[in-house]
Amino acid sequence: MLYPLTVVVFVAALLLMVLSGWYAARSRLVDDRLLLVGAVVEVGLLVQLVVALVHLGDVTGGGSEQATFAAYAITLPFVLPAAVFLALKEKTRWAMGVVAVGAFGIAVMTARLQQIWNLGG
Amino acid sequence: MAERDPGPSAQQPRSTRSGPGVVLVALYGLLALAATGRSVLQISEYFDRAPLAYVLSALAAVIYIVATVALARGDRTSRRVALLAISVELAGVLVVGLASYLVPQAFPDKTVWSHFGSGYGYVPLVLPVLGLLWLRRTGRPSVAP
Repeated sequence: MLYPLTVVVFVAALLLMVLSGWYAARSRLVDDRLLLVGAVVEVGLLVQLVVALVHLGDVTGGGSEQATFAAYAITLPFVLPAAVFLALKEKTRWAMGVVAVGAFGIAVMTARLQQIWNLGG
Repeated sequence: MAERDPGPSAQQPRSTRSGPGVVLVALYGLLALAATGRSVLQISEYFDRAPLAYVLSALAAVIYIVATVALARGDRTSRRVALLAISVELAGVLVVGLASYLVPQAFPDKTVWSHFGSGYGYVPLVLPVLGLLWLRRTGRPSVAP
């Protein structure tokens, strides 16, 4: 798949995790900087979804691997909105904790996506 | 529903999704996602290989989903549901974790709970403990009406 894109998404997700974790520790709430990183992650995931679906046929290992691959790619863009939805009513540091958890999930799932892709070489 | 002010002096039971609880909900959601993904794939593709392990995977997935929703709702009924789901979850991870070491041949493929959730950074082992502590803490002021 698009390796540079995966790297961008992965690094941005890690950055989002660290940043929101730090905000949580400092009792700070969301600001433009965090929003920007979040936007980069989300846009990257949407592009990744398109790329993944276009190249779905190239995933080796049969239907099950393809299904997993598609499921990950489709689920990923929903993680951050879900985290934001959860955090919306919470006006404390814990809202940032939720974003950190979501970002962690995105990083792991993105790595897994790349892993499945690499099986085909 | 929208009770805010999660101050430490709150006298009525706090919503389970306020304060640290909202992070707990997020963690449960993430685990529910991971367990569901794994279990759907296992059951749909190679159920015959390890039926027991895969049924347990599915069970774990369902319990995580129930716990996530119950903790997110956080009303009185949901608390009971959450308590039940998390208790089953704790028992599950302990029993399956132990069994996967004692009778490894029964678990040719991994489940979320095997080896005490080591494949998931032991989160499946830690989370139910945190969940129970959290339920206890938020429910302390008045358990019965």
